[in-house]
Formats: sequence, C-alpha cells, structure tokens
Amino acid sequence: MTSLSLSLGPPALVRLHDVLTCLSKFSDTVAIEAEHSAVCFGRSCRIDERTLTAWNELKLRLSALNSTKTAFASFVCEKDVFFESYSFQVRNDGRASFQNQNQGQERFYCQILIRALLSIFRGRVDRNKDTAVERCEMELHEEPHQAECRLTVKMICGLGVIKSYKLTYEPAAIQHAVFDRSKTTNQWTADPRFLKQIIDHFSLSAEQLDICAESGKATFTSFTTKITEGKEVLKYPVHTSVACDKKDFEEFIVEENMHIAINLKDFKAVVAHAETANATVTARYTSPCKPMQLAYEFEGIDAAFTVMTRGEADVGETSSSGRAVIPQFSQRQAPTPALISISRNETPQVARNMEMPPPPVRSRSRSIRPLNGSSTQENLTPRPTMEKPSASASMEFDSLFVPADDDRQWDEMNDEDEEEPQDILGWDASGKETFEPVLRDIEPDFSIPHAPRKGGDSDDIGLPPTQRMSQVRGFGLFD
Amino acid sequence: MRFRTQLKNTRTFSKLTASLSSLGKVCWMRLEYDVVRFTIIPDQGTQVWAQIPVDTIFEENTYEMESNSEAINIEINISNLNRALRSTFGASQSQLRLTKKDKMPLLALTVLSSEWTEGNMALATEETTDPTGEVTGDRRARERETRITQEIPIKILHESAVDGLHEPHCPDPDVHIILPGLSQLKNISDRFTKLASTDSKGRQAGLINMDSNSNSNAAASALSANSAPKLELSANMHGKLRLAIATDDLRIASVWSALINPPLDPAHITQDQYSQLPSERMREVGEDDESGWAKVRIDGKDWSRVLSVGRLSPKVVACE
Repeated sequence: MTSLSLSLGPPALVRLHDVLTCLSKFSDTVAIEAEHSAVCFGRSCRIDERTLTAWNELKLRLSALNSTKTAFASFVCEKDVFFESYSFQVRNDGRASFQNQNQGQERFYCQILIRALLSIFRGRVDRNKDTAVERCEMELHEEPHQAECRLTVKMICGLGVIKSYKLTYEPAAIQHAVFDRSKTTNQWTADPRFLKQIIDHFSLSAEQLDICAESGKATFTSFTTKITEGKEVLKYPVHTSVACDKKDFEEFIVEENMHIAINLKDFKAVVAHAETANATVTARYTSPCKPMQLAYEFEGIDAAFTVMTRGEADVGETSSSGRAVIPQFSQRQAPTPALISISRNETPQVARNMEMPPPPVRSRSRSIRPLNGSSTQENLTPRPTMEKPSASASMEFDSLFVPADDDRQWDEMNDEDEEEPQDILGWDASGKETFEPVLRDIEPDFSIPHAPRKGGDSDDIGLPPTQRMSQVRGFGLFD
Repeated sequence: MRFRTQLKNTRTFSKLTASLSSLGKVCWMRLEYDVVRFTIIPDQGTQVWAQIPVDTIFEENTYEMESNSEAINIEINISNLNRALRSTFGASQSQLRLTKKDKMPLLALTVLSSEWTEGNMALATEETTDPTGEVTGDRRARERETRITQEIPIKILHESAVDGLHEPHCPDPDVHIILPGLSQLKNISDRFTKLASTDSKGRQAGLINMDSNSNSNAAASALSANSAPKLELSANMHGKLRLAIATDDLRIASVWSALINPPLDPAHITQDQYSQLPSERMREVGEDDESGWAKVRIDGKDWSRVLSVGRLSPKVVACE
C-alpha cells in the first residue's frame, strides 16, 4: 500500500501553479514521483557496488516529457523547504521477495493531466478575499488490488470553506532524461530578464534558437527550418540575431564559434518560468546534437530542463545535419552506460506493476515503432545481451581520463552496432542523477525462442510491449 | 542596386507600418531619391497609397539609393517589418539596408541598442583584473550594448512589374473636411457597426425560430446578415460631419460640428478653376440645406481598419 500526503501553504501554491503552467508547455500530463528511501538502492546489483547509490532524502518530482521526446522538464521539490508537511509511505504487503532488487527503495509514480490540476490551482491565492486558500492538502492512497487511482486535493479556505477535488491519475512509466553535469564543457548563467529581452526581439513564428559565442560576443539567432515553397519568399521567416556582450552574463564559458541550436519554444518556456521564480538560469552543454540542460534553483525547488540540441556535430554527421530533424533521444541512444532503461515494468518481480500497462521499452533500439495491429508478445525482441553493456561499462570507466566530450572514443567499440555518433543521453526511471555505469536487468524471459529477428540486421528492433502482464499469465513464462 | 540608410523617428516608421499592416499583408515599398512610397493593394478592401519624404524616417545624409531605374521596388511582408522595427525602440543606432543571403534578397535591419543594466548581471568573464577605474566583475550598473540584426526576406520587383500599377484617380472632392479625433471617431464607428451587426444577427435567429419551415426565408436572412453593415458618412463644407448607420430596426447618427474645411492651396490652382471645383459649389449651398451634404456608404469593418491610422497622426483629411 502506498500513501502520500502533503500540505502546501499559499506561497507554495502559487509556486506550484507556476510550475504546472511551465510544465504544460511541454506536455499534457505531469508525472509525479514520490521517493523515499533511507537505505541505498540500486537498479541492478549484478554488476558491482558502484551501481548502488545512496538516496537519503524525501523528494517529490514533477516532470514532463514532450511528445517528440526532445525536451524534458523536471522540478524537484525539497520536502523540508517547499511543503508544510509531507509524508510518504510504502508498506510492503508480504511481497518482499519481489522487491529484493529495490531494497529500501520506496517510490511511487503516476501521471495526471496538467489541465485538471491547473484548473484547481488557478487564482486561488487572493489575499483580499475572505475565502482565500489558507492551506492545500493533497492525499493519495494506492492499494495493490484496487484500481481507484484518485488524488484528493483539499483547499482549506477562509471562513471554514473547504473545497475538495478528486482527480484521476494513471500509473505510468516515467522517463527521465539523464544529463551528466560533470561532463559539461560549456556553461553560461544569465538573468532571466536579460534572456527575456533577447527573446523579445524574435519573431513570433521563429522556431529554433541558435547560440554561438564569437569574439567576446554571445549571439542568439532565431531561425525556422520550415520549408517554404520557393515562390513564397515573403512567407519566409525573419532571421533575428541578437549579439550581446559576454559581460552581460554572470558566467560565460563557451567554446568559440560553436553553433548549437535548441527549440525556441522550450527556451521561452524556461525563461518565462525562471522570470516568475526570479532565479538565474544556467545552461550547460557539451556539443551540438547532445543534450543541453537549463537549470535553476529557487525556494526549495530544483528546476532542470534537458533539451535536445542540433547543429553541426563534430564527427560523422551528414552535411545536412544543421538542418536535420532534432534527433529523438530514444533513437540515438548508444549502448553507453548512460542508457538506463525504464525497468519498472520490465521486471515482473515488482508486485505493484502487475496492474499497469507495460511502458514502451526504451531499449537500445534505433527506433521504437509499435507495429499496427500486432499485439502479441512475439513482437518483443530479446533483451540485449550481456557483453555490450559491460564492454561499454569499462569504456565509461576509462572515460574519466579522456576529454569528457570526446565522442570518438566510442567509435571503435561501437563499430559492430553500425550506429551513428551517439548522444549521451538515456532514460532513467530511478531519478538519480549519477552517470555511473548501470545495467538494465536482463530478463531473458521476454525473449521467445522464435521471436522474429531481421536476418543480418544487427540492430535490435525494440518494440513496446502491448500486453498487460496479467494477460500473458498462463503461458508458462510468468507463472 | 544599392540601398542603405540610418533610420530616424523609428516610432513614426513603426506606427506607419503598424497602420499599414492592419490593412494588408504584402506591401510594395518603392524607394525613390526623395520619397518612399508604401502601397498596399489587397484583393479586396482598402488600398493604401502612402508617400513620405525620405527625411521623415531616414537620416537623409546617410541615405544611399542606387538603381538603374531610379527607384527600388520591394515587396515585403509589412507585419514582419513592423515586428522588426520594434527592436529599434530605445536604440542608439539603427540601420536599414538591402542585402543578399544565399541568393535571397533581404532587408537587413541592424540595431545597436545600449541600455543601462541594473548591474546585477555585469560580471566579468576575463577582465577581472582590469586596472582601470571601471573594474569589471563588480556588480555596478554599466551600459550594455546589444547588437540586433533582423533579416527580413523580400522580393525585388522589376520596374516592369510595377509599371501597370497606378494610384487610382479620385474625382475632385465634393467636400473636404478635417476629421475629428480618430480614436473618438473609431470608437463611435465601431460601436455603430457592432450595434448593426448584432441587431441583424438577433433578427436572423428570431426569424429561424418563428419560421423554421420556410428554409428559403431563413437562408435569405442569413445572406443579408453576412454582408457587413454599411456606415453612412456625410459631411458638408460648413464644418459638419455626420456618421450614421441604418438598419431595419434602428437608425443612429452622430453629428460633429465646427470642424475645419481646409482651404486648398492657391498656388496649385487658378481662381477660375477654384470656383469650378465641386467643393466650392457645395460651399455655396446653405448650411442647413440637405443638398449641401456629400454622402458615402462604407463597410464598417473596413472603415475601422482605415481609422487605425489614427495611431500615426491625429489630423486626417477626408475627401468625399
């Protein structure tokens, strides 16, 4: 049984509303994760001790991943600062044996439509009204065999008015973009109001933002890659570039003449929220086609936005890469240790997952395309074998002594994969921010002896499971 | 072909482009040696033929224009230009020039803007040991310079393409009068238009309810409701202007008096011609005589868009 209850004061309520507004610019749903563990947990204890990470804090994370999986927004609320009270408990109901891999790890996650939440919090804190909200209490209880899935929100207002809302949440696989701050080679910090002034010059239809440092100047250029018919010249977007002095940044350590482009809409969303939070934004990135993280902290909230970038990558990219579609995180994953797949539902041992639809398996596949109409388990390809991850695990270990952004180090090892230069970005459902080599649990159970494989094609074609665990019982594999 | 100039009065320029963009999307901008013409010819609605002296919006001594045909004809998305001009507010220097990028002609607007920062973001990156008085790295206020470049895609029109375009000739006006404050006029016009259109909508709904069997009737009334209400604008040479709207159910009119009928410039016109002008004949008609009023009917929405030039200048002459 899982229970989560928390209460918020009026200032935190306003913050929460701002956070949700910001998240709504990325996705329709917000992922809520509660985490609590006094002991350490590791996702796969099979490799070695390094994979075990201490996690001693209570945290609530709100996150959103956009539909193209190119932007991930996450807000981690510190329990002690942000909430008036916070309690989160997971009681093991005699299935301890199933939890053996997640000792001490107590987490709960679900997703809720942002619109539903937003409408509750909108305009609730008006001090002039007698019935202004004085406190907000949220409660959530989940029983393993009960499918109610309701989040109760109580607004305790002045004059004894209590407004209660029951929202439906749905269990979901939560994906995190992993970003390794220690490998950052470029970093700048700026006041959001300053960034806002830059954004104001851009035309409303601009889609992309190019960032470049040249001779003491930081240049922000907006552009649009939309292909317009040759004749309609006048419909071409306006190119706007704003060059400002490095000194206008609080910090500016960026490689000269490197162009890196991100989605302008995402950038606007980040800046708009940072402005309301009055927190200076720090951007961290390595090179084009690798993720960029925009982060800031305020009042007990740790905000981090991981967005995909585009531009001319150093190696092996096609000449048109500057105009190439932003690669999806999932499509460009290398068998690097960065890859930490969601395994909550891949591991049938976790009892509470049984009721949940399996998430798409973000495995090492190049692309994830659910086949239409095929819903049988034959579509699941075998898990990747053991050798590759361990090989790259050792590589990762070596990489401590080579330049962090050197992508070429992977080339030789990955030759067999015939993959393009990879983005170091993976998915992590554990919520931990480390970049240590972590392996996915190998579940050979998922492979069916005669699972279709493309002959000669060494790529794993990962397909999302389309069946509930409960439905495949009785076939002898999961009994 | 060459065009380059420093801008001045960018507020005026911006207001002009804003007014133009409410009337049409594509603007033909004709750069000549001493004037700049802005023309908008939409498929339907109001045409604009605007002409401004070069030194109103451009610094004359920096104005460079070279062309075989003594003019450069540019087709530009006027709202793009308007949006770009917003960057010039508070700028210390703005330059507009014709350029090319990847074989595409562009109008490039380069703005050098300097403003005082609050000082909290002025942190040095390298020169922390700068020995001069202005120690960078401190958080004191300082001037911040930002260079903004707006590249607006344009089409260059060949002289032959615009040869056939001429400003339509209007007959000599019956009445010319200086309009009252445009914001006031626009408010009242908009209100009239709204009243008339809600009135016809209401009637349409009622008619369908009462008479749901007769489809043809309902369709006919829907048709009439679709045509935008027509404002009736009339004026005489005795300083009076009347704005009215009439539908089947309502009739409203506002009358302004003591407006000015500007005299025509005698340098351009002989005394003989002067007395022949229709406006002079209208002037001779008595003040209270209805025949002294010149009357036009205009589409309310169109009129409202035209009145949006009020942001540029409050003094407007209407000729009827």
